[in-house]
Parts: sequence; structure tokens; C-alpha cells
Amino acid sequence: MNIEGHVDKIKRLEDLRKRLDPESDFELWFWSTMTAGTNAVNAALHHAGITPGERAFPSQPGVYYVPASDKGKEFKPVLKSSGDVLHVGRPPIPGPVPADISEMMKSMEQIEHFRDPCTRGDMTIDANVISTCEKAYGTCVAMLERRLSEKKQ
Amino acid sequence: MNTDKHQEKALRIERSLKKCRPEDHEIRIEGVMLAATHWVNGAYHDLGVSADTNDILHSYMLTVNEYRRYAAANEDLIGKLAEIEDVRPLYVRGDVEGGQKVADRAGALLDEIRAIAISVRRR
Repeated sequence: MNIEGHVDKIKRLEDLRKRLDPESDFELWFWSTMTAGTNAVNAALHHAGITPGERAFPSQPGVYYVPASDKGKEFKPVLKSSGDVLHVGRPPIPGPVPADISEMMKSMEQIEHFRDPCTRGDMTIDANVISTCEKAYGTCVAMLERRLSEKKQ
Repeated sequence: MNTDKHQEKALRIERSLKKCRPEDHEIRIEGVMLAATHWVNGAYHDLGVSADTNDILHSYMLTVNEYRRYAAANEDLIGKLAEIEDVRPLYVRGDVEGGQKVADRAGALLDEIRAIAISVRRR
């Protein structure tokens, strides 16, 4: 997806996050947070020229859905070596990345740590889990905002 | 995870889904996928197909042999879950138009999965 598409998703996901209670709605609050953060990482990777911003949507590492024709609304799966990540680390980004994006990825790894245990399993959801996710997400989106605003100057 | 916990988690996610607006289609789809997976896992545990310690993460991560085994026990459960999962690339990770309708369809599939899972529990 292109940067504008990622940013639009982040804005809409943040709107939803505000309507969800981090504790009683943890699963959807977490998933909104993780999805928005992953969009932020993808936008930053496109901005840095590391992955292409294009109409190619990942279904699994290395497999992307792309338009089947120039005018059609149909999509088809193809193999691609680079594009949006599904999660940080899926697929891994080869080679060094700028320091700010590396920090964004580390923040997302903190969030991802709770994904399966807290949304699919029965790990206790407490204030520490919520605050860790909130802080990591804040770092991730702040880094993206800084990167995108510096480009405009 | 055992069936009681799966059901508790699924119902909790479904309560949160009610806070979503139609335009929140990405998380409506994701929430449906999560809740449906809990119902599906609980149902397969109840059917004796899988142990409490062996939950499905995604249908597409199963081996072909495993998928066929689940389908042999109840094809609708795994098939409807797969249908929900299959819309994620275009409408959750992508920006293809029509996400709200697709999320509505996913919600209908969740209703069907829940009904099957509850009927299995009552046996």
C-alpha cells in the first residue's frame, strides 16, 4: 500500500482506539494498536525507500495480492520479494534500516509480544500490559510523524 | 485453551465489536476472525478433534493433512473461518473498496460459526 493509504488507516484506527476501553475491550484495542503500528512501520519503510509503496497487499510472507489488470477490480496472488510486512519480522527486512525505523520495529516487537498470549490465550491482561503497549505505540507513531514531517521541510 | 475459556474470550470480543462503527471495517473483520477462531477451536475440542493444548492459529497455517482432518469432522467450521481469513489481505491490509460490505459478510459468518459451536456444546 502507499504511504497515504497507511496514514489513512492509522487515523481511522486511532479514532476507534479512543472508543475502546483498553481493559474491557483489550482484544480489539490491542488489535487496533498493533494494526495501526504495523501500518506506521510500513509507511516508514516506504518513506525510506526500503520497501515499495504500491498496490500490493500481503497474504503471507512473500505472497501479495496485486491488481489482475490495469482497469479491473480483480486481484491475483503473486510472489514478491519485498513489500508491506504483515507483522514486524514477517517477513524480516534484510539489511540495515535507519535508526528511527529500527526503534519503531523494537516498539512493535514489544506490542507483538502480547499478541497471541493475550488475544488467543488466557494471559492476564493487566495495567502493565496495557501501559507497555500504549507507550510502545506512542513511540512508533511519533517516530513516523517525525519522519514524515521532516520530509516536508 | 479449553472450550469454556474460548467461549468467554469469543463473547468478550463480540461485546467489543458492538462498539465498532460500519466504517471500522478492518477491525470488524479482525475481531470477527479472532472471535470465530475461538468458537472454532472450542468446537473442535468438544468434537474431540483437537486437544485443549492444540489450538488453530489460522486455517492457512495448518498442514493439508490437518486441514482435511478438521474438515472431515466439520467442514463448515474450518471452511467459514477460512472464508473470513481470506478477505484480510485486500480489506484489512489493503485499501480495496467495499470493506464495509465484506465486514458485514464476515459478521454473518461469525453468527453461523457461533451457532455451530453452541450446537456442538449442547450434544
